[in-house]
Amino acid sequence: MSPRKPLPTSIRRTVRYRALGAGAAITLAVTLAGCASSAPTAPTGGPASAPVGGDGLAPVSNGAAQVALSLTADGGGTCTLDHTSAPAGPVTFTVTNVSATGITEVELQSDLKILGEKENLAPGLPASTFTVTLGGGSYNLYCPGAATELVPFTVTGDAAPSPTGSTQQLLAKGATDYAAWVVSQTEEMQTSVKALASAIDSGDLAKAKTAYAQSRPFYEKIESDVEGFVLPGFKLDDSAGSLDYRIDMRASSLDDKVGWMGYHAIERDLFSTGKITATTKKYATDLVANVGKLLEVVKTLDYKPEDLANGAASLLEEVQSNKITGEEEEFSHLDLMDFAYNIEGAKQAFAYLQPGLEKVDASLAEQVAAEFKKVDASLAAYRDDTALGGYLSWTKANREKHSRQLSQTVLALQQPLAKIAEKVATAK
Amino acid sequence: MTEQSAQPDPAEPVALTEPPSDKGVSRRRFFGTAAGTAVAGALVGAGGTAAALSAETRPTVATAAGDVDIDLNQAVPYFDQPHQAGISTTPQRHAVYATFTLADAATKTDLQTLLARWTAAIGQLTQGKTIGQVEPVRPDAVGGDTGEAYGLFPASLTVTVGLGPGVFTDRFGLASFRPKALAELPRMPGDFLEPGLTGGDLSVQACADDPQVAYHAVHNLARMAATVAQTHWMVLGFGRASAGPGQQTPRNLMGFKDGTRNVTGDAEFDRFVWTDDGDWFAGGTYQIARKIRITMETWDVDRISDQQNVFGRTKDEGAPLGAKAEHDTPDFAATDGDGKPVISPYSHMAMAAPENNNGTKILRRAYNYTDGLNSQGLLDAGLMFIAYMNDPQHFVDLQSKLGKFDLLNEYIRHIGSAVFAIPPAPKTGSYLAQALFE
Repeated sequence: MSPRKPLPTSIRRTVRYRALGAGAAITLAVTLAGCASSAPTAPTGGPASAPVGGDGLAPVSNGAAQVALSLTADGGGTCTLDHTSAPAGPVTFTVTNVSATGITEVELQSDLKILGEKENLAPGLPASTFTVTLGGGSYNLYCPGAATELVPFTVTGDAAPSPTGSTQQLLAKGATDYAAWVVSQTEEMQTSVKALASAIDSGDLAKAKTAYAQSRPFYEKIESDVEGFVLPGFKLDDSAGSLDYRIDMRASSLDDKVGWMGYHAIERDLFSTGKITATTKKYATDLVANVGKLLEVVKTLDYKPEDLANGAASLLEEVQSNKITGEEEEFSHLDLMDFAYNIEGAKQAFAYLQPGLEKVDASLAEQVAAEFKKVDASLAAYRDDTALGGYLSWTKANREKHSRQLSQTVLALQQPLAKIAEKVATAK
Repeated sequence: MTEQSAQPDPAEPVALTEPPSDKGVSRRRFFGTAAGTAVAGALVGAGGTAAALSAETRPTVATAAGDVDIDLNQAVPYFDQPHQAGISTTPQRHAVYATFTLADAATKTDLQTLLARWTAAIGQLTQGKTIGQVEPVRPDAVGGDTGEAYGLFPASLTVTVGLGPGVFTDRFGLASFRPKALAELPRMPGDFLEPGLTGGDLSVQACADDPQVAYHAVHNLARMAATVAQTHWMVLGFGRASAGPGQQTPRNLMGFKDGTRNVTGDAEFDRFVWTDDGDWFAGGTYQIARKIRITMETWDVDRISDQQNVFGRTKDEGAPLGAKAEHDTPDFAATDGDGKPVISPYSHMAMAAPENNNGTKILRRAYNYTDGLNSQGLLDAGLMFIAYMNDPQHFVDLQSKLGKFDLLNEYIRHIGSAVFAIPPAPKTGSYLAQALFE
């Protein structure tokens, strides 16, 4: 992408490589994992230790084969199994980090699909377990940071029946439902911008301001998908063909060749100059047309599960970069409302992934859900039903007073949420 | 603590047998202006040669010109030491100091996991290693390590973690573990404390001879903490403003030597720094952090005689007024021809001298800092004062006196403050303060 000052909104936000399909991504990972010992992990210098394990089949107790996995710092980091095979059926892995400061997670993989895992495995913490039901075949324990990162594990007996794909089905359904939700939001946006245009046409400033505030939430909920918001025949970095630019550009992303347009051009007239002119009316008419085009475009978009996760992450990035700073709604100070709807959009994307994610990593799903609740609770403190948009006006004084707490709360959500994409992209 | 005198403290730093990267460079050094032949001679003359070569020092060597030849390939051991590194370790050139506040929803298990993760990470970082993949193999993965220290050397990194009064509360079921002298500091004369620079539940002091290595450590520990603890305040320190044994006494931003009469040697550390509590805290210490702003422009135009009167020392040599050399013992009784004391009893040195404070000393491990310019366009800079002692009351007594009468007060403002208990170092396979969770 050619650098340009200022960057168009669509590029400033997020770049997701949709062209790299799931198949391509996995091939890449396989290639790299094949030479995992040269992967850019901690430089160790120790001799690679063989992935040794004890002999024989793991004993079965409590209805599951019992396998102990221990991590040590010896020889640049080892990841050792007491039994390297188990009979088909439930298998419980008990993981103990004895002394490996450089290894803090392990995963059970089948063809790079994550079947089960444990994180936060620092030395000194009590052993932790995970149980998975396995059919006959070859597996790997993946211990990132160990001198030998992949430790083979064999399951004897009948192969599992061909996977019902329940996790993947759940995730795929989530992605499909999400696509439909984006369309529904865009339809509502279309209705709301028509109301905005008619309020502006009537010349009623107060009514127009209210209509503006009522229309903003829809775009804020779906603006993680802007990279798909491109008119046919245009390149991603051409503001003229970017629906995100045409709908949501602002002063910081102004492209002189294309000029002011969209929501924030209207915002500037309504809230800064306080006058509705013929130009304002033109902005409104154009906005209606562009949202109409957007509706056509979003109907053609489809998503992979990791797109939802990355989209949610980029909405939180939006919050931190443009809402908490007060950059988005420079004239109307409606940033907190936008903030709330960015969060809402991220929460929707997460919710569509949640059923599948719970099968992949229940504790991560739980943690992210809990952090969303905390952000909601934080935001609730700033609700003001008498204010336009329903939230405290995000003036400079209010930003200085409240932005730190909000920012830290969002940061606590960003950290676990950033891990979801990898989980769902590699889920079996 | 009887084993302490027999046991190196901390163990002698080790040079890595292999460079921590494959870039083909085995050693990198900063050379002082008078490196080379001057080195050996200066070492002998540095006062306390034995101390300079004891296990307490990193193998940095003071040169005649006060510069230090630093070997960035040095790693300071972290596990299995009687005390956490970064206290008796000879001061490195740079520091990043940060405090954290535990999140409202954080549980005892969250705190336990965080301390275990931090411990493991510090063990990696101090050896010049990353704490996970910089470039994960899976395209949708987020890097474990942020990467800015990848390929850099350990640079004698130490990371010292402290637990604030807020940790030892009923909230975590840890009230009974509270070290006996740990309490929030009382208000003291001369306090201009800003809430945003005061207190904290956890502290991290990262010191290294490469500022990027120190910053990387705090950057990654903060990242690890995000859901459990929030950053509270942070200071970037440079130009160590305290000397260890064998080091040339450095200067603060007022241009004066600082820390000439610091705690030194095992006996003094045992007497003034390490606690001898017979419980989990044995071998620990207390850390007091004070962010002290200097009104630089005002100080800069003060006449030299007044500046020297304020400190009680000469500016160039750092000698006590009336004496010749830096390490001469100050004569607080000496008077001039008019019968006035040569060293003002209100000078900074006289006020802080052990002779005038029941023999008490605290270990000073300060760094200079700057935050650029303030809103008036004036230099925003000062001293990030970090001190260690076996009873915070020693600092409280000292500062209560200094805050009232010290001539230096005209030019400084204490704007940040915090106190922490510093647990002893973890053993291999365990983590910091593990006893609290068992």
